[in-house]
Amino acid sequence: MSYVRENLEGLRKTVPAFVEAVMSSAGNRLSMSSSREGSVTAKCDGQWVHSAYDPRKEAGTWAEAQRCEWKEGELGVVLGVGLLYHVEALAAIKPSGSRLAVVIPDPSVMKDAASARPMGPWFTDVEWLWGPAQAIAEQLGAYSTPLRVLTYGPAARLHAEFHQQLEAALRRAVSERQSGRLHVAVVGPIYGGSLPVARYAVTALEALGHRVSWIDHSVHRSSYDALGTYREARHSQIMQGRLAEILGLSTITRLAEDPPDLVLAIAQAPLTLAVLEHLRKKKFLTAMWFVENYRHLTYWQQLASGYDYWFVIQQGACLEAFTRAGARSVAYLPMAADPAIHKPLALTEAERAEYGADVSFVGAGYPNRRALLPRWLSDEWTFRLWGNEWEGAADLASVLQRCGARIDTETCMKVFNASAINLNLHSCGGDRLDPDADFVNPRTFELAACGAFQLSDERSLFPDLFTDQEVVRFRSVEDVPMLIRTWLNNPDRRRAVAEAARRRVLGEHTYEHRMKELLTSIGVRQPDRIGALLRGDRDAGTLAARAASVPELSKLLRQFPPGQRVELKDVAAGIRATGSGRELKREELLVLLLDSYRAETRDLV
Amino acid sequence: MRRALMVQLARLGDLLQTVPAITAITAADPALAVDLLCPAPLAPIGRMLPGIATVLEWDGVVWSHCAKATGSGLQSKHLQDAERRIKMLAPRQYDCAYVLNQHPRALLAGALLAREMISPRREGPLGGQLTPWAAYIRDVAVTGRGRQVHLADALCGICGVQPSGQLAALRRSSCALPGELDEIGQSEGRWVGLIVGAGDVERVVPLDTWRQWIIRFLDQDPRGRVVLIGQERERGGQLINSLPPSVLGRLWDVTGRTSLTELAEVMVRCHRVIGSDTGPLHLAAALGVTVIGIYFARARVHQTGPYGSGHLIWQAGEARENMPMSAGSIRPIRWPIEETVAALVEGRIGRSEGWTVWDSHCDRWGVYYSEANHSPTPPYEREALWRNMCSVVR
Repeated sequence: MSYVRENLEGLRKTVPAFVEAVMSSAGNRLSMSSSREGSVTAKCDGQWVHSAYDPRKEAGTWAEAQRCEWKEGELGVVLGVGLLYHVEALAAIKPSGSRLAVVIPDPSVMKDAASARPMGPWFTDVEWLWGPAQAIAEQLGAYSTPLRVLTYGPAARLHAEFHQQLEAALRRAVSERQSGRLHVAVVGPIYGGSLPVARYAVTALEALGHRVSWIDHSVHRSSYDALGTYREARHSQIMQGRLAEILGLSTITRLAEDPPDLVLAIAQAPLTLAVLEHLRKKKFLTAMWFVENYRHLTYWQQLASGYDYWFVIQQGACLEAFTRAGARSVAYLPMAADPAIHKPLALTEAERAEYGADVSFVGAGYPNRRALLPRWLSDEWTFRLWGNEWEGAADLASVLQRCGARIDTETCMKVFNASAINLNLHSCGGDRLDPDADFVNPRTFELAACGAFQLSDERSLFPDLFTDQEVVRFRSVEDVPMLIRTWLNNPDRRRAVAEAARRRVLGEHTYEHRMKELLTSIGVRQPDRIGALLRGDRDAGTLAARAASVPELSKLLRQFPPGQRVELKDVAAGIRATGSGRELKREELLVLLLDSYRAETRDLV
Repeated sequence: MRRALMVQLARLGDLLQTVPAITAITAADPALAVDLLCPAPLAPIGRMLPGIATVLEWDGVVWSHCAKATGSGLQSKHLQDAERRIKMLAPRQYDCAYVLNQHPRALLAGALLAREMISPRREGPLGGQLTPWAAYIRDVAVTGRGRQVHLADALCGICGVQPSGQLAALRRSSCALPGELDEIGQSEGRWVGLIVGAGDVERVVPLDTWRQWIIRFLDQDPRGRVVLIGQERERGGQLINSLPPSVLGRLWDVTGRTSLTELAEVMVRCHRVIGSDTGPLHLAAALGVTVIGIYFARARVHQTGPYGSGHLIWQAGEARENMPMSAGSIRPIRWPIEETVAALVEGRIGRSEGWTVWDSHCDRWGVYYSEANHSPTPPYEREALWRNMCSVVR
């Protein structure tokens, strides 16, 4: 027996087009069977969408878990359709003043659900969102109420790609409306390639208007190096590990003195699992941007459960590996460039002579580069090799600059700008191109931001970042000499490609874009905390408007500029600054009383 | 009828220091109804204070939650909720609040609950200027100078009244103690309550000192009994474990096992209570039990000695009458074990290297301390100080 007409009848008046789309869909995406308990349950592609034993009970348990997070006044947006048991369970316990919406990626699944069983009155109270992901995201982005995304995994799995598109579009839509200011503590590494990334992140967050506490551990580099000079490597390892532990405690102390809204660690930040668990206990929100190849640096496995949010530069298997290792949330966030640093330069003739060449390569001497670069030397073009760790590379000695010294960012930018073709060969351990060629390295974005032409090895994640008309890629070692020849002879086309790449970076791939996306992503998952701050819910103007029922509070709040983020402590400080020697109003006394409790020292250390 | 509220949101010892002020205020205006605002956990003791009609319980945990709720953005509802809680405490404002400590929340609570406030600060909760008596207390705490006026009497000064010179004992009705604890004080012999710990770690007497003290006392007094008192159950257990089995039959350990009311009952069943400058020591004194105080670290007999007459206090450091003491922390080189046992068992007070010994007396200006074995000599500056700073001197 099919219940589809009976169930959808109630929706005809409000969403006729949706009802029509469902009725005219093919259905039969789910295969139905009877659960042990007797109610209907379903499978898709051989996997259960609901419990084979008791789908209602399972849905109830899931809904209870969601309810812990779902706050009053938020719009709950359910991802995953199935037979809607979980939606029914949520509808029964939703917070007062909250609404519920369900995303329907495929009307056929909705048809299956509506056919399977009779739905109750809750069915017409739910908002059904259907259509292209972009359209749904725009619709959701236009709501003034905070959104709480509630993912029912077993059913959401069927439309994972659609949901990814939706979330990405939603982040974009939401970020357009963000005006609030956060306090972010950025925790950097002691040294290494992620150190400049941490600095770029700090600059980007500040440029976006957020307050940043930069916890810079690179100041301890010399101590770290000194502890690495013991005769026995084991001793060095232990001592350097101890220093890292101390720096973790030092980070906690800094955070205790000026608690941020978010702790953002950049790869290699010296935070141990114990430190991260301590921070979680004290309700700090933590995120890590892991700007490393997860296959090469594997310490993330020990830390996966420690951070609230992970951001990685790889997709697919990487996301699954982090989830398997215990990460609560992991999302893709590619590398970027900083246009204030990575930019076109007007070089003198002398500089062009010093740094320029037909073909250049800047980077460290990884095995695949040692094996492949000699094959791309030729009498037809000049070649210059810059960077360190090239000891013993005899066949590259003639082109190696500055005897293989490490080069700084300024020199690097000059080389990029002065070279006709910049080779960009992603590193790997073998003697070939990277067999797991997925992420796109920072150099790609930096070269593009400089308006420099580059030839890069192909990566599976390129298509979302750059087109062929923006970055020219090679798929085999043998293609490179031909490509060099071709592009050397076409300076105008080179310039056009390079300029297109620069435009793309400026439009989509700066660190400001990345930081905005990172914060939006956390805000979407935490609508009551980071999301509220980003929406400007703590700004003086918003708070004053909300405080209309207590005019004295409203007056206190209106003393601040409307766009300024205001906390209890700020209002209390304002009262203290002006209150001495006069009789305080009752509301002022209450504010000061609450603040005296807020100000109690947080026993973090 | 005029209504007044005493506000004391600090710890047990501080609450007990307010007793002379309450006594003096109610004596000065017998028609005044006086209530007390104190931390909720201390309310059972608050109800014992003489002259107090009603005790309002201040729940710091609830207020912490209220403050935390503003983390989601300060809204009208937060202030409305705070106001509701104030109204629940006292639906009608008091005519006057006597605020006896300087913590902002005590001053703010006083300002919210009463129309008029008498406090250590001249100009309300945000006023920076101290009243003369508050400035006196601060100077004494900072410099260590001044042994004329005890803290509890200075609190009378803050309230604008003169101490009565007599300690009114706490009101309590005796109660049964749970289980085997009810045996305490029921058999003959000298029962001594021993306070094993202290809230301030600086004021903790080492366990080994107490071990030696118990052995010595039980050896000197064959009918003596010792009751271990305090909240530190683990410490009590450690002390028990360190003692020879032969003394255990004469030892009761109530650490961590009593409510405040039961603790008071235990104390009144003891003939003496011994310990450092702690809340329980002041509780024993306020209950009318004669105490032996061991004062060291930053504790100074003249400022916070046990209130009332007849108490004995060993003060670390070379404190002599009319000589200033340093305000720093004094760590004793040796502990007066034999001397305190001798005083307890034989009533003999001998010399004590590194310590001075004081006994307490009361007169019309409050409590004072005089060197033991000397005839009591009240510090002559007290009267001048009172006449200088207080307009209500009789």
